[in-house]
Amino acid sequence: MLLRILVWAVLAFLISPLIVIVLFSFHSSPALSFPFAGFSLRWYAELFNNAQLGSAVMKSLTVAFLTSVVTLLIGTTASLAWLRLGKVGRGFIEAVSVTPIALPGLFVGVSLLVLFAQAGLQLSTLTIVISHVVIALPILIVAMKARLALFDPSLEEASRDLGASQFQTFRRVTLPLIAPTLISSAILAFAVSFDEFVVTSFVAGTETTLPMYIWSMMRRTVTPLINAISTLALLFSILILLGAWLISHVRRRSAVAARIES
Amino acid sequence: MAAIAPIIEIRNGTKMFGSFTALADINLSINQGEILTLLGPSGCGKTTLMRLIAGFENLTSGTIQIGGVDIANIPPERRPVNMVFQRYALFPHLDVFENVAFGLKVKGMPKEERTERVNRMLHIVQLESFANRYIDQLSGGQCQRVALARALVNGPKVLLLDEPLAALDLKIRQHMLAEMKRIHIETGATFVYVTHDQDEALILSDRVVLMEKGRVVQVDRPTEMYAKPKSLFAAKFLGETNIFETTITAVNGIGTTARTSSGIQFHSSETLTKKPSEKIAVSIRPESLTFQHKNPDAQSAECVVDDIVFMGSRSFYTVRLNDQSKVRVQVQRDGRLSVPSPGDKATIFWDASNVVMLPRD
Repeated sequence: MLLRILVWAVLAFLISPLIVIVLFSFHSSPALSFPFAGFSLRWYAELFNNAQLGSAVMKSLTVAFLTSVVTLLIGTTASLAWLRLGKVGRGFIEAVSVTPIALPGLFVGVSLLVLFAQAGLQLSTLTIVISHVVIALPILIVAMKARLALFDPSLEEASRDLGASQFQTFRRVTLPLIAPTLISSAILAFAVSFDEFVVTSFVAGTETTLPMYIWSMMRRTVTPLINAISTLALLFSILILLGAWLISHVRRRSAVAARIES
Repeated sequence: MAAIAPIIEIRNGTKMFGSFTALADINLSINQGEILTLLGPSGCGKTTLMRLIAGFENLTSGTIQIGGVDIANIPPERRPVNMVFQRYALFPHLDVFENVAFGLKVKGMPKEERTERVNRMLHIVQLESFANRYIDQLSGGQCQRVALARALVNGPKVLLLDEPLAALDLKIRQHMLAEMKRIHIETGATFVYVTHDQDEALILSDRVVLMEKGRVVQVDRPTEMYAKPKSLFAAKFLGETNIFETTITAVNGIGTTARTSSGIQFHSSETLTKKPSEKIAVSIRPESLTFQHKNPDAQSAECVVDDIVFMGSRSFYTVRLNDQSKVRVQVQRDGRLSVPSPGDKATIFWDASNVVMLPRD
């Protein structure tokens, strides 16, 4: 009984900020505290008429998309190598890939800024994407590694044994089995990039991402627009997760259905 | 028996992992259609030998021929062998039908023929009604049969089985052994079976290859290897036995006689090439010892009964000889015979034909 109360308490603690934000995004008055005056969509209307905000959202989506694609490509090849390496090789990849997680964002931001300056790279969307890959890649490798450690290498041997070439084995066995891991890792990289602020503020130059726009907005005054933006961001993440779940579920179902019909 | 052509020939096969010798100078012929067991304790090289045949490892020196062709440069996917993996290695993203169809599909067999062959194989392993189940919805025994079907549907010249029953519990294991014999007869493939379980080896095999520390110790039919082990290791590994440390007292035309330091005498009808006063080990199986002598020539020793373990149709006695050494005696239940109780004095008897004299390790 006590345990059950505790579980509910923890859930309430985690979810209540979300509920408050969603609720106040529909508030008819600019007040950010109770009592609740009434429902209205005025903040959403204001949001969609704000061109600056719109371009910041587009910028963030673009950066997050590019980051997740690049991170996924590098991360997948690194993870596949990790699967095939011995203990020493694995240890090396782990050490090199995990260390950046422990570095403070300030430090990473400054060093990347110096690096870009030395390389003569103009601060732009490209530098933001490079920086986000640097941040997201270690997180992605750690996440993938935990899942791939469960991958049974004898499945690849079984595939070869049954007559599949190395390429066929990758396409028919390895890839389908690691696909859910790849998808969830890509989503993770997307999320990391989408709300990254500290490092971005160093390397963005004149570009403005959504977190940077919100930050500049908040510096002037705290407006209920923030609630509306957050609510949309929340909805967006839920849709992505739902999509990922549907993809893996529907594929499995359709495979069975196709053969029963034939 | 007619001469049988070997399907696999291993000549001077040596495999090193770094400085560790996994297999040392293996010479082995595997006959067409037989069930050959590679038996030995873990680390003896039996799994390595199987992986060499499958193509997942390469010999450091020596050759392997399958059907007269050297396979050194043939990758696993083009070898005429298929393997049943220890933990099955079934594809979790495919259902039973797709698992079994995998090999035929990657080889590009047309769909109709493929479906027919898979269904026929599912019929042989009695899994037709499970075709659309995923692997995580199957029991251990069912997984085992899918793994067999997935390998056999490709019509391999040789089926390799790597401890296929190790993950199953005892009851299912016995059932699957019978299944495997039936499937062997139905498919006619050559089976190479790796196990550390002597019971599986004895039940299943036409021939047993006993291995120890990367070497082949003995190759024989199960009955021969059990009755006539050629080394102390073979005697101890296959079944249970009593070992006596003795010194040879006489070697002549009627056999060999040896004696323990406490004076128990053993006579074997085999004439050894050893000389008197040489040390030798004597092995007698528990079931070769009795408390009643039927044969006037029977040899004997005095003892005291220590302990009895009743196992239904038979009982295991632990008796102590005069020199305090313990000996196990297996007694078949027979209501007509009286048997000693714990604490009783008794005499154990054995025949010369059951005395096996072996060089000491």
